[in-house]
Amino acid sequence: MKRIFLIITFLVAAISSFASDIFSPPSVPTLVADNAQVFTDNQRMALANKLSALSRETTTQILVYTTTDLQDYTIADFGQRLGEGWGVGQNGFDNGIVIVYKPKTDSTSGEVTIQTGYGIEPLIPDATCMRIIEREMIPNFRQGLVYEGIVDAVDACASLVQGEFSADNYSGTGEDEDVSVGSIIFFIVCFFLGYVLYAAYGQFTVGRRPSFFSYLWFVLSLIGHSSGGGSSGSSRGFGGYGGGHFGGGGASGRW
Amino acid sequence: MKKGLLIAGIVVFVLVIVGWYIRTGNKIVRLDEGVAEKWAQVENVYQRRADLIPNLVATVKGYAEHESSTLTDVIEARSKATSVTVDPDKLNSSSLRQFEEAQGNLSSALSRLMVVIERYPDLKANQNFSELQAQLEGTENRIAVERRNFNDAAREYNTYIRQFPASIVASSRGFEKKAYFEAQAGSEKAPEVKF
Repeated sequence: MKRIFLIITFLVAAISSFASDIFSPPSVPTLVADNAQVFTDNQRMALANKLSALSRETTTQILVYTTTDLQDYTIADFGQRLGEGWGVGQNGFDNGIVIVYKPKTDSTSGEVTIQTGYGIEPLIPDATCMRIIEREMIPNFRQGLVYEGIVDAVDACASLVQGEFSADNYSGTGEDEDVSVGSIIFFIVCFFLGYVLYAAYGQFTVGRRPSFFSYLWFVLSLIGHSSGGGSSGSSRGFGGYGGGHFGGGGASGRW
Repeated sequence: MKKGLLIAGIVVFVLVIVGWYIRTGNKIVRLDEGVAEKWAQVENVYQRRADLIPNLVATVKGYAEHESSTLTDVIEARSKATSVTVDPDKLNSSSLRQFEEAQGNLSSALSRLMVVIERYPDLKANQNFSELQAQLEGTENRIAVERRNFNDAAREYNTYIRQFPASIVASSRGFEKKAYFEAQAGSEKAPEVKF
């Protein structure tokens, strides 16, 4: 019996680890994911620095992702899912760009896509993405100059979004839960329900009903405790993704 | 004293129920709005495709005069597709099927046009045409994405309103189940537009 339980646990763990796949963000956020190992260490670092700087200065995030396996997705679909899943760009601005590169092999052609977040679509329309791919990327890729092609495309994208977004006018507002009548009533109800319990408890232990003010004091001290823990974000070069959204805009090419 | 506590208890109980009813109702409204919003996006991207077609037809016409019947098919399918709209409050399976049928006819008319275009290398080399091609490709991707987003939102809404006890609130306030896009073979993934 115990063994069956273990096997089931193992299977569930295996399935869930399979399901939380490439489209969920990596534990260490990065803007250069070179899974196909097409860059040298220096190139990867230079590119990562360039993209982190762009993200810091303009909040626009460009993710460069290389892979040899698109897992049966079309490259455009793969790029969209990646951008949406990792949340490239800022929530609200949706100013993320994803570049996916699949190297050419003997049996398959090379493929590349530029996927634009919703906020980038008006600045870099599909036709412009196509031109960047045809002029900056594919000619370089044909000569084996992967890094040069990617950097040229990144520069082209960066100059097109220049000055559009900035940290100053970014508020980072997501979906704020507005305080509705229902939740206020709910809070009041909980408050008085708590008082009834508190009073009953006091009567049971001490033998007399505690005052309303001692209850108020008790609740306030609880709130004080729970809000004590602050958040401490760790920054490793690049601060992290902002939760941008992607709608499938962009272009793809092959060679 | 005891009596006071009892009355307080009853009042609290009633307030809890009322509070829960309001909260649940509000959550359903929020989910319902989410579905309507996603539906608007779906119609948006289909409209975007429809908007590209006059330009596409004009460009193709200049190079492929003999293909007027294929072009006419596209134009007719386009006007039918744009005439079918669905009110997000009435997203039932029959209205959605009608919408899909009209858009599907346009998709197949377009893909027939693309096959024909293969015979015209001059057209394929045209800069204006290749830009239209990129836009059409991007739009097909957008359609796939927005259909998927709509299905996700509709699924979340449906799951919520059919679960007990939220189902009580949903039925008392007349919220109904929304229809999904059916995943036809390969439609979960964006179709490849090849020229």
